[in-house]
Amino acid sequence: MTETKIFAARKIVTMDANQPEATHVAVRDGRILAVGAHADVSGWTDAAVDDRFADKVLMPGFVEGHCHLMAGGMWRFLYVGFQDRVDPDGKHWQGVGTIEAVLDRMKTADAELPEDEPLVAWGFDPIFLMDRRPDKRDFDTVSATRPIAVMHSNFHLMTVNSAALKLANYTADLDVDGIARDADGEPNGELQEVAAMFPVMRRLGIDFRALGRSPAGVTAFGQVCKRAGVTTAADLINDLPDEDVDELLRITARDDYPIRLASMLNAMTQTAVETGERALALQERSTDKLILGGVKIVTDGSIQGFTARLRWPGYYNGASNGIWNVAPEQLNGIVAELLSKGVPMHIHVNGDEAIAVAIDAVEAGLRRHAAPDHRTVLQHCQMADRAQFEKMKALGLCVNLFANHIFYFGDQHAALTIGPDRARRMDACRTALDLGVPMTIHSDAPVTPLGPLTTAWAAVNRLTASGRVLGEAERISVPEALHAITLGAAYSLHMDDRVGSVEVGKFADFTVLDDDPLGVDAGALRDIPVWGTVLGGDVHPV
Amino acid sequence: MPQATAPLPLTVISGYLGAGKTTLVNHLLRHAAGRRLMVLVNDFGDLPIDADLIEREDGDMLTLANGCVCCSMGGDFYNALVDVLDMPERPDHLVIEASGVARPARIANIARAEPDLALDGVVTLVDAENVAAQLADDLVADSVTDQIAAADLLLVSKADLVSPHDLAALKDRLNAINPAPPVMTCISGAVPVDAVLGGIAPSQDAKPSPPHDHEHEEAYARWSHETSAPFDSDKLQQALTAFPDTVLRVKGIVFVTGRHGPLAIHRVGRRITIADAPSSTDRTSRLVAIGHRSGFDPALLTRLVDGALATPGPQRPDSTQDKPPS
Ligand SMILES: [Zn+2]
Repeated sequence: MTETKIFAARKIVTMDANQPEATHVAVRDGRILAVGAHADVSGWTDAAVDDRFADKVLMPGFVEGHCHLMAGGMWRFLYVGFQDRVDPDGKHWQGVGTIEAVLDRMKTADAELPEDEPLVAWGFDPIFLMDRRPDKRDFDTVSATRPIAVMHSNFHLMTVNSAALKLANYTADLDVDGIARDADGEPNGELQEVAAMFPVMRRLGIDFRALGRSPAGVTAFGQVCKRAGVTTAADLINDLPDEDVDELLRITARDDYPIRLASMLNAMTQTAVETGERALALQERSTDKLILGGVKIVTDGSIQGFTARLRWPGYYNGASNGIWNVAPEQLNGIVAELLSKGVPMHIHVNGDEAIAVAIDAVEAGLRRHAAPDHRTVLQHCQMADRAQFEKMKALGLCVNLFANHIFYFGDQHAALTIGPDRARRMDACRTALDLGVPMTIHSDAPVTPLGPLTTAWAAVNRLTASGRVLGEAERISVPEALHAITLGAAYSLHMDDRVGSVEVGKFADFTVLDDDPLGVDAGALRDIPVWGTVLGGDVHPV
Repeated sequence: MPQATAPLPLTVISGYLGAGKTTLVNHLLRHAAGRRLMVLVNDFGDLPIDADLIEREDGDMLTLANGCVCCSMGGDFYNALVDVLDMPERPDHLVIEASGVARPARIANIARAEPDLALDGVVTLVDAENVAAQLADDLVADSVTDQIAAADLLLVSKADLVSPHDLAALKDRLNAINPAPPVMTCISGAVPVDAVLGGIAPSQDAKPSPPHDHEHEEAYARWSHETSAPFDSDKLQQALTAFPDTVLRVKGIVFVTGRHGPLAIHRVGRRITIADAPSSTDRTSRLVAIGHRSGFDPALLTRLVDGALATPGPQRPDSTQDKPPS
């Protein structure tokens, strides 16, 4: 049965240069039948005009090009971050700005939790709680008996209470890197990096991968996306065993599942040949709502964790260089193999040395194999300089810049990790666009909150959390930022033929906004409320 | 969930690409001699275990005829480790074959932090032929240096491919990076298993090490020692520290004055650990060591530990022997 609808809106921002603005869009079989003025669409159908969006602004459904499924499952734990966030159920969680507010929120949660469950919180950011760094004694006031673990926003640290330290047998005489100590030499509750966190996480059953794999987590992820106006999201690493693929197919096929999910195969668990074959086999299982076939390769770590690979002169605070997750020579082999098979690649690179190695790998691979329209995406790519963008352009690489970092970690980057000058040219959106490198921007949720309008705001304004502008020269315009979170991201996912603009033939995926992003002040971009989304013509209010 | 059993010994095998980690792992699996080893491979690629060893294959887990198991970490270190620790029947010894660029100290640190794991040692393989080039490559030099620096034992592979002069120079270079560990050489991963894996303390029936029918055994010597007199714990630690560098590993179950239960002692390279051992009715202390044959002086080792008895004296050891290579 063919159903045709016409939506009328105050304004439709199409991202189609042939017709940048419209007021009506006709939808048939989940796809855009016609777009323009009423007269442009009424010739196709005598369907009544649905004018529920008469005072709303429609945009092409936002595309988040780099986030993680666990952004949904994280909400099983208590949010204690500095910034406001909205949970999958639509509850608005106000940011907590003082230690007292953090503890109050935790005490409330403690009172409601069954006795034998640990209290796990996430999103904690002590650098914003200026007066002092909380430790176990603070969390002991929440409970002296229940184990408590508070994961910091960067996921590299956690602070636990005395009950949790006891559970892991942590005592003063234990000689382990990463167990922070107080003046008396006793563990103070702060645990740094995996080794120190492992025993506590294991005993408290904190399993991040499971958060992204469970049906409840995948469902919650869809809700988080919808509330941010996202209709297509890329889950940027997944082992994708058959049973998980079956489950993802089942969940995404539901009419009430509000997004198209692109899930990237982890290329780090098998040989390059096997990865390529697996990716091609997965591609065959793709549907309109589950898009498979791309792969993710992780080269270095993170800048704020001092694990990114930097070229000379290295880290501003003198920290030693970061780590490789894959040896450069192994990367060459993987990239060449996947280019030869036409498998789309997303390569995690943060530091400029990792970027150089990835560019070299692609260049060497392209000399061996013609790989037309490969669109290999350098993910994060935060420290790329102009010469590296020139190479990217010449080699047909795309870039997905981590614009949210400017706001969330920009102050830290200038003061601590890479110093003021390189921090000013981090996530160089302007340079990418000027040199013609296909560009999009991302949140890496749950590392930073999912919200393309916020990410666009970050790229446009380049304000840090302390309120200063970091790298004015790399700012982009609002229309450029809106392109980045729609067509730009769609292009990086090889999906610009289906999503990213309001054009005839594409999926009828829209973001419904209360206001016009082209009409508000650039500083207010992130404040525009998301009313909901439309996916394949079906309306999903938040 | 954590269990109330003895901690699982963990040996980390590190080394850059091509250093021979997989060859060594195959050698260990082939000569496990009754120990149920579990090998976790933290590198992407095949699990290149010799086909004749494999009994069963399901998914990314290989079960060997001798009870050992080998599986891929699937890129997820955390879950792989949790799974091993939660196994209903834990293996006797866990071996992690780290990736070619992994920092073994980070992995070892987990074993220090986790009460259900006991760090047995970090063994770093060094490719005699290519390590100079690796150390000259800015992209990987720091990873390779880190691996060498974190080692309790250094194992130089492909030793047959370089001249004795170059080999000596290489050993100097390695010890300049990390002065502590003894340096062993090997060809095709052939080294005594009990030097690489300290693991299991000597049992009460003091069974000698399983026979090794390899010529490489001739390069190594063993020492074992028993006494019913209790040690002084501080003095014993000093004695172990004084063992010469020709000694690769020492392990033992010992009784000391002032404690009822036995202690498990363990020295790999220059690192000594002492921990509680399961109690036993027999109050005999037992120690064993393995080392390079050249310069190995069993009488010296006996003298050193005898000097660590709570009431030292010209006491005849119950038994001391340098076992001939079999
Ligand atoms: Zn990510």
